[in-house]
Amino acid sequence: MIKISNITKQYPTVTALDNISLTINKQEFFGLLGPNGAGKTTLMNLLVGYLNPDQGEIHIAGEKVTQDCLHTRKNIGLVPQSLALYDDLSAQDNLDIFGSFYHIEKTFLKERIKEKLESVQLYERRKDKVKTFSGGMKRRLNLIASMLHDPPILLCDEPTVGIDPQSRNAIFDYLLMLNEKGKTIVYTTHYMEEAERLCKRIAIIDFGKIIAEGTIDELIEKLPYDETILITKNQITTAKIDILKQFGSVIDENDHYQLKPNAGFQLSQFFESLEKHTISYKFVELHKPTLESYFLHLTGRRLRD
Amino acid sequence: MKTILQLIRKDYKLFWSDRRAVTMTFIIPIALIIIWGAVFGNLNKGGTATKLHIAFLNNSTSPIGKKIERVLDSSKTFVLIKSYKDENGKRIPFDTSSIQNYVRKGSVSAALVIPADALSDTAFGLKLKFYYDPKNDLEMQMIDGMLQKTIMTEIPDIFMQGMKNQAVKFLGLDSGKAFNNEIAKTVGKYFKIDPKWITNPPVDSVMSMAGGSDSAKNSFFQNILQLDKVQLVGQDIANPWATRSVGGWAMMFLLFTLTATSSALFEEKKSGVVLRLLASPISRVQILWSKYLYNMSLGFIQLLILFTAGCLLYQIDIFSNFINLVLIIIAAATACTAFGMLLSSISRTAGQANGYGMFLILAMSSIGGAWFPTSFMPDFIQTISKFTIVYWSMDGILQVLWRNASIFDILPHIGILIGIAVLITSISIWQFKKGHVF
Ligand SMILES: Nc1ncnc2c1ncn2[C@@H]1O[C@H](COP(=O)(O)OP(=O)(O)OP(=O)(O)O)[C@@H](O)[C@H]1O
Ligand SMILES: [Mg+2]
Repeated sequence: MIKISNITKQYPTVTALDNISLTINKQEFFGLLGPNGAGKTTLMNLLVGYLNPDQGEIHIAGEKVTQDCLHTRKNIGLVPQSLALYDDLSAQDNLDIFGSFYHIEKTFLKERIKEKLESVQLYERRKDKVKTFSGGMKRRLNLIASMLHDPPILLCDEPTVGIDPQSRNAIFDYLLMLNEKGKTIVYTTHYMEEAERLCKRIAIIDFGKIIAEGTIDELIEKLPYDETILITKNQITTAKIDILKQFGSVIDENDHYQLKPNAGFQLSQFFESLEKHTISYKFVELHKPTLESYFLHLTGRRLRD
Repeated sequence: MKTILQLIRKDYKLFWSDRRAVTMTFIIPIALIIIWGAVFGNLNKGGTATKLHIAFLNNSTSPIGKKIERVLDSSKTFVLIKSYKDENGKRIPFDTSSIQNYVRKGSVSAALVIPADALSDTAFGLKLKFYYDPKNDLEMQMIDGMLQKTIMTEIPDIFMQGMKNQAVKFLGLDSGKAFNNEIAKTVGKYFKIDPKWITNPPVDSVMSMAGGSDSAKNSFFQNILQLDKVQLVGQDIANPWATRSVGGWAMMFLLFTLTATSSALFEEKKSGVVLRLLASPISRVQILWSKYLYNMSLGFIQLLILFTAGCLLYQIDIFSNFINLVLIIIAAATACTAFGMLLSSISRTAGQANGYGMFLILAMSSIGGAWFPTSFMPDFIQTISKFTIVYWSMDGILQVLWRNASIFDILPHIGILIGIAVLITSISIWQFKKGHVF
């Protein structure tokens, strides 16, 4: 569906994208995970043809994307990272305007606007000016404003920035539903939880380069250890921490100890030992490795500071 | 094309939703035109409140005296006061001395007396007495000018006849100086001027006054010569000063409006709407075209509304030469749009565009003759002013409204304005391509 081949994009002072190649399949929920300034937005802007690449090519549904080719854009809905809305107009007026550029039949467009507004619970507020909306409501409107032409591909550039968990969940559910119905979705974020929850496949991008690509399980597979064990720091555990050092290396962090198991580690032995030394299970937390730890492993940095 | 129309429709919708923009475009200019009109009361010849009041006494029984009285009475410019109230509140008609007292007390700025011997002095002469209060110099000059204008335009034959008689007498003598001398004498005879006011300027300077010397003393003669000019144009303009001020304000606000609307592009860019638009099947060229057409049409509507306001408020005659007015307005709006877009193309933020805009607009408006006629300015400024949009717009508008110019008369103006538009649009498109804005 989307084929990105050897894309390089340079700004006067930085190379925003450095020889990137990616293939995104039809009906995939694809995540692009990377820290601030990694080049996510730049890649999105290239995908819609807002920018021209310095090198490389992008094909969408077999058609080459360029600044001058308006046709590929009908297949794409871009949800911009910023709230690209007219604050002084009502939600309805905003949608009327953005829908009008796709040459959709009038009554049909009207019907679709109503349907979209309802699907994100904004129908009641359609006559209100956007500037009276909450952050979450604006985000939802920003989302549906990109979908009035019912595009098969949806590019979401951090669509949940700065909103409450409730709105965030609503957007997640909505996107999952769309994906279920067959839409191809590309989703950028620097929240690994989001990528883990939504995306079947992800690429991790850092300083304009793809540093990893695959399903979440595939990526975690590559981690050299399977699990991390967190032990709450208190009088009991501090006194007995030496006992646990036989199972792996213990890192003393601020409010807890982190145990990285040795090769050949067995959970059953570990719990036996806890019981024997009367350390309550309550103080122990098994931690599955995450994309966060994977990113840390690859770059030595966290996704967010 | 349909996309461009949709984009323009969008811009109008945004414009209407922005109350401040609507106010800045229409309400404030009209308010300023009204204030300006109220401050310079003579703009409004139609309203009674702003008529010029002068004391008036006609002691002559001659038909000419009667005619002058009738003309002044019916003029839109003057209110003749022919009597005063005494201590008991009784109205008493003026006589020769009470009318002078009336001026001395400051009740009016000037008094006009047609003496009993107005016509008896010479074969052709007409003697009028004009008393004034020198403290109100400006107002007096205005009254003086208007008085002459009214009398001369309504009863031109008095002056012309006398001139002819005298000229014939002296043309046989070859001395041009003698002729000039006689003009001065003739003028002096027609309007016996209070010696306090005019200390008989040297004869030579009578001629030089035509060049625009504007000392208060000379204004009497200057006004006659100006009057002559009006006669040459062959048209009686209802309200020349109002036309100029309305035109000037309109041009200045047109520039402000178009700078503001052009820089709205930055808002759209900042919010990401430009990205959203360009992610739809819309090209940059279409967005630029829509901006140009939107700004031009908005500018056109603004000018039309301001001139209509001028027409309603100050009886500016916009209809007798309407087509040509529309043409020059379109040309002005086109050039001003190009100016606004140029500012946006070379700026990086809306603030920057409006900052440059403020400076350039004020400079252009003052130099270009939006505030006062360029003929008042030093020669080198007059030369510079010919490089401004405001000059060619103002001059074109005044040609149309003052001189009833035909399409051929304003073709150079339209040509130059469109030329300016094409030139600066090329620059801005080149700048847009370099891509600060998009
Ligand atoms: N118009 C521009 N001019 C110059 N540099 C730019 C421009 N846009 C982006 N950059 C630079 O390109 C790099 C990538 O930016 P980009 O916006 O693509 O990052 P991002 O991954 O979307 O970051 P974020 O998570 O903060 O949105 C950054 O270093 C940024 O400073
Ligand atoms: Mg971004």
